[in-house]
Amino acid sequence: MIIPNIFYRKNRILLKELTKTDFKLRYQGSVLGYLWALLRPLMMFAILYVVFAKLLRFGSDIPHYPVYLLTGTTLWSFFTECTGQGIQAMLARGELIRKISFPKYIVVASTTFTALINLAINLVVVVVFALINGVTPSLSWLLVPVFVLELYLLALGISFLFGAINVKFRDVASIWDVLIQALFYAVPIIYPIAMVANESQLAAKIILLNPIAQIIQDVRYNLITTETVTTWNFFSNPIAMAVPIAIVVAVIVLGAIYFRRKSKFFAEEV
Amino acid sequence: MDTRMLGERRVVFEPNYENAVEVKDLHKSFRLPTERSWGLKQAIFNRIRGIKGYKDQKVLRGLNFQIKKGEFVGIVGRNGSGKSTLLKILAGIYYPSKGEILINGNLVPFIELGVGFNPDLTGRENVYLNGALLGFSNKEMDAMYDDIWDFAELKEFQDQKLKNYSSGMQVRLAFSIAIRAKGDILVLDEVLAVGDAAFQQKCNEYFATLKENGQTIILVTHSMDSVKKFCTRAIMIEGGKIVHDGDPAEVSEKYLELFKQK
Repeated sequence: MIIPNIFYRKNRILLKELTKTDFKLRYQGSVLGYLWALLRPLMMFAILYVVFAKLLRFGSDIPHYPVYLLTGTTLWSFFTECTGQGIQAMLARGELIRKISFPKYIVVASTTFTALINLAINLVVVVVFALINGVTPSLSWLLVPVFVLELYLLALGISFLFGAINVKFRDVASIWDVLIQALFYAVPIIYPIAMVANESQLAAKIILLNPIAQIIQDVRYNLITTETVTTWNFFSNPIAMAVPIAIVVAVIVLGAIYFRRKSKFFAEEV
Repeated sequence: MDTRMLGERRVVFEPNYENAVEVKDLHKSFRLPTERSWGLKQAIFNRIRGIKGYKDQKVLRGLNFQIKKGEFVGIVGRNGSGKSTLLKILAGIYYPSKGEILINGNLVPFIELGVGFNPDLTGRENVYLNGALLGFSNKEMDAMYDDIWDFAELKEFQDQKLKNYSSGMQVRLAFSIAIRAKGDILVLDEVLAVGDAAFQQKCNEYFATLKENGQTIILVTHSMDSVKKFCTRAIMIEGGKIVHDGDPAEVSEKYLELFKQK
């Protein structure tokens, strides 16, 4: 009972059924249906590409810059979708929680799984773009899922932690909305990290200790071009690499423990 | 960090043990906010000023009872007496504040009909979703599926979206799922009064068969007719305590007296 048992049959069935429902409902009643899941991040990419790559001429020294940018925006879209909906999940399913008894983490898991499925499909688009753009496929592509998993665990931990607080204090979702806007600029998505490093080594170091920055740079490194800065090659120090990973582990462990403790009272408070 | 006490609820599966439910010294209190606004700001403000910002409302004050397998128990009491809270604790939705609960077998609760019903899903999809929420696999639902629609008499609408059903039809579908669901212990909260007269008749017959078959049922209701007709035992709750426990006819009398006094 210490670890929520995902392998328990009843829980697995419910998780599958809720994820299916979430997925089905999200794009029902729209003409383009599921295509919207692809169009939204692609639109965001198109705007950023025109503004930053074409007008401001960012990234002219990075090979395959459009795909490089698309990779960043895709991962970022996933992170905002996953945390935004994960934090609200308990409230969105309040009706269920008040009426029936089941492990509450299933609600958060099903919502974040939906975001994860969207990411998987978006990543296929990224790979297609990469091939069109002339990126050579390599074995290092196989490492990408590892970093995606790291990003998912971070988003899941944040959803658990803030989602649990949000049941009682509804301000948390709004605070997170504002915070994530700021976070967008603290992560090298639209600007190349090398640009920051030229100005200030220290600033670049601080940015690269953020797990989101580490993950995005590692995915770009393994998927697109090795001519990019990662936490690993910038510090060339294993302890520095351990920092973002430690943050992810701390967030998921803390989030899970806190959520588990508070979940006993969700039915009364939601 | 959290000062609320917790009791214990255990679920076991022991076919040879005679009791289906055991409740020992059950207490439940809710923490109700005393401030009008309760946001983060108020919480921090209260913490600084050393104000609790909530009061504990005692709803159940020491219940003790046991239910044997095969008993059809009616729980009665006026509004706010704590019967629904008791049901929600039995169903595992609320945690007890103090005391012990033992559930022996698979308990299927119907606190409300059609939990998780979504208007944008078809009847078919809703049946499977509702089934999953009650803990049934797709395979188990496949086996019950035709039966459910036959009982609801709505088979021709199964692929329509639920929002196109009338409210009466929705309730009938929900109720059909509820009574087809096979659990060791059924927990029902005022669900007997649904549908038209013909459907009522069908439901009554069904309850009679359940009773004959020795299904363990806990029913919360205000209808003394149902208590007298179906229950083998009745428990009356008043002010969070058990005031009567025994013969359904006698307890019904006491319940009705409660309202004559005023």
